[in-house]
Amino acid sequence: MPIYRQNVILEVARGIRAFLNFEAGLTRGPVPEEGQQSQKLQQARRWLEDRNRQIAELEKKLAEDRSGAAAGDLKPENVVWMFGTARVGSTWLGSMMDEPTGHTMWHEPLVGALFGSFYYGRGAHRGGKHGILGGSDEKRSRAIRAFVLAAAHEKFPEITGDGYLVVKEPNGSNGAPLLAQALPESRMIFLVRDPRDVVSSNLSGKSEGGWSVKAYERGRRTGTPPPTDPKAIVKQGARKYLEFIGRSKEAYDAHQGPKVLVRYEELRADTLGTMKHIYSTLGMSVDENEVTRAVEKHSWENIPEDKKGHGKFYRKATPGGWQEDLTPDQIEVVEKITGPLLDEFYPGQRLDRTGV
Amino acid sequence: MPVLKNRVAFEVMRGIKAFLNLEVGLTRGEAPGGGAGSETDNARSQKIGQFGRRLANRALAGPGTTASANGAQDRRVRPENAVWIFGSGRSGSTWLRSMMSDMDHHRVWEEPMVGQLFGSFHKHAQEGQLSSANFIMGEPTRKGWIRSIRNFVLDGAMYANPRLGPDDYLVIKEPNGSTGAPLLMEALPESRMILLVRDPRDVTASVLDGARKGSWLYERKDKGQWKENALADTNPEAIIRRRAHMYMSQVGRAKQAFEAHEGPKVLVRYEDLRADTLGTIKRIYSELGIPAEEKELVRVVEKHSWENIPEENKGEGKFYRKATPGGWREDLTPEQAGIVEKITAPLLEEFYPEREKAGETN
Repeated sequence: MPIYRQNVILEVARGIRAFLNFEAGLTRGPVPEEGQQSQKLQQARRWLEDRNRQIAELEKKLAEDRSGAAAGDLKPENVVWMFGTARVGSTWLGSMMDEPTGHTMWHEPLVGALFGSFYYGRGAHRGGKHGILGGSDEKRSRAIRAFVLAAAHEKFPEITGDGYLVVKEPNGSNGAPLLAQALPESRMIFLVRDPRDVVSSNLSGKSEGGWSVKAYERGRRTGTPPPTDPKAIVKQGARKYLEFIGRSKEAYDAHQGPKVLVRYEELRADTLGTMKHIYSTLGMSVDENEVTRAVEKHSWENIPEDKKGHGKFYRKATPGGWQEDLTPDQIEVVEKITGPLLDEFYPGQRLDRTGV
Repeated sequence: MPVLKNRVAFEVMRGIKAFLNLEVGLTRGEAPGGGAGSETDNARSQKIGQFGRRLANRALAGPGTTASANGAQDRRVRPENAVWIFGSGRSGSTWLRSMMSDMDHHRVWEEPMVGQLFGSFHKHAQEGQLSSANFIMGEPTRKGWIRSIRNFVLDGAMYANPRLGPDDYLVIKEPNGSTGAPLLMEALPESRMILLVRDPRDVTASVLDGARKGSWLYERKDKGQWKENALADTNPEAIIRRRAHMYMSQVGRAKQAFEAHEGPKVLVRYEDLRADTLGTIKRIYSELGIPAEEKELVRVVEKHSWENIPEENKGEGKFYRKATPGGWREDLTPEQAGIVEKITAPLLEEFYPEREKAGETN
């Protein structure tokens, strides 16, 4: 039988609603009672309350997810990037920073190399909106952020609450600007060293019997064999320095989160003081006694003698050692290639050619 | 608050009553009579549905995913509606995707190169890196990063194709990202896959033609010393060798992905697509399980036929060159064809067992 039903609700003043419920029709049975209507209304209200409760619970879960603050999650602001390039002392600094309670080091994930080599090396940034890393910065950053945080969580599910994750990423520094942009609230250490010492260390590792050559011989490294010609090694090392330190600097200059620039030479000269400076500048909470212990534990003097020396991973740790290790021609090559960075971080320290 | 209630009922015929209930008033709380079907209520149901989907996506996505926080995952492409085209460049993938893109509810993601991003990095990783749990693509954490690749692709597809409808198919033309095909298919096992192959000698002949000074590929390349070297003119054998190795890598990886893929898939030879375009495209849709009306297929095949490409856009040195299977016999010297045959032998034998060898043409 036909029934016409109309419910109208109007807000006439703040919090006050006018309503009109109109129902007309024909029936063979009993006329709908007001009581029946009320019963239906009560059921509907219970249903609504139930749904409101569900929404509140789901909203709470989503909010936890969104902030990443649920138990066991790493906070993005507690990610501490360590950028620079190879042979600048990042293993040493990373080892010390791995020591304090609640601080963990991620040893060279190379996530920066994954994105950086593709984005800068293969010109993917010119791929327009279709390119996987093309389009807007926001789109790219969101994708990289999700990738990095998911990987960090997968690897370190044990990091909870206020735990820090120090990501030692010197060899992924060619992607530093992308990573820093993706995690603008993260912390950043930019570790630099005199390029002449970096190249000198490189040359030693790649010399006959050097640690880098041995790694290749053991099959741990594949692909094109490392160059053996010192001239080629020097040139390659200087170019890598220019690219990796250059990208690190670009990221450091643009980063708005907590950041600190550290020179290897200062870390060697006053390790404890520099470590304190790092934690303080980055606003990281740490027990000073633990820092002192970490500095002692990882001091150069505590590395066994048979693990140190020419061709070994731990070589000489002597700032300025390049003056003994490199030929004048090699020095000239490094200074020429890395010139702008050398002048910025080590002003006035180019070799005075007139005095040679 | 005042309420006026009025209820009238009277018999209009034997056994049939007319009634009228009227209720008017003001309230500070819920208005009576809204019932479970009111607009507010429906909105609540929808909201619950959305939350549910977002949480489900979050569970799949794992931690750290930001797209879902913005509700973006609700707009993602359905993984099973992603249709990958793998193979190698110069295999007719532009032609195939053009036909597919003109079908109803189809959109194209043009060479995102996501396969190259992950595939190339993984391929060049050192053994020591791959066995390390620290390495971002290390074997010990494979399950995690494969899941991350899945999310990366689905989010990327959504951002690159914002107008993608919930039931649309997304054709992902990715011949030059085929190195990453095994990883992508592992990450999206329910997606659909087309392995498009072409005789490597024709592929190489096409690249050589395009790379000559003044040709389309030469003009497009601006990386490194590509133009200065102008290998196609100065040392064609070098570019032939390089391209043949690339074919091995791309088609080899695509084949590996194809064999492992358990979702809908189809192997297409360019030569079959040229010889019987309608028949082959019907087979593609049938084997991929994508509903397609025959008249639609006829329409797109006709629209994108070789004959319908303007004459001035076709020919030597142009993107649309000759589309003639076996054209390598005219374009390559026997020595050059021999180089390609030697390098690509395993794939040539598998996909073109009836082939004619370079030596046999002379």
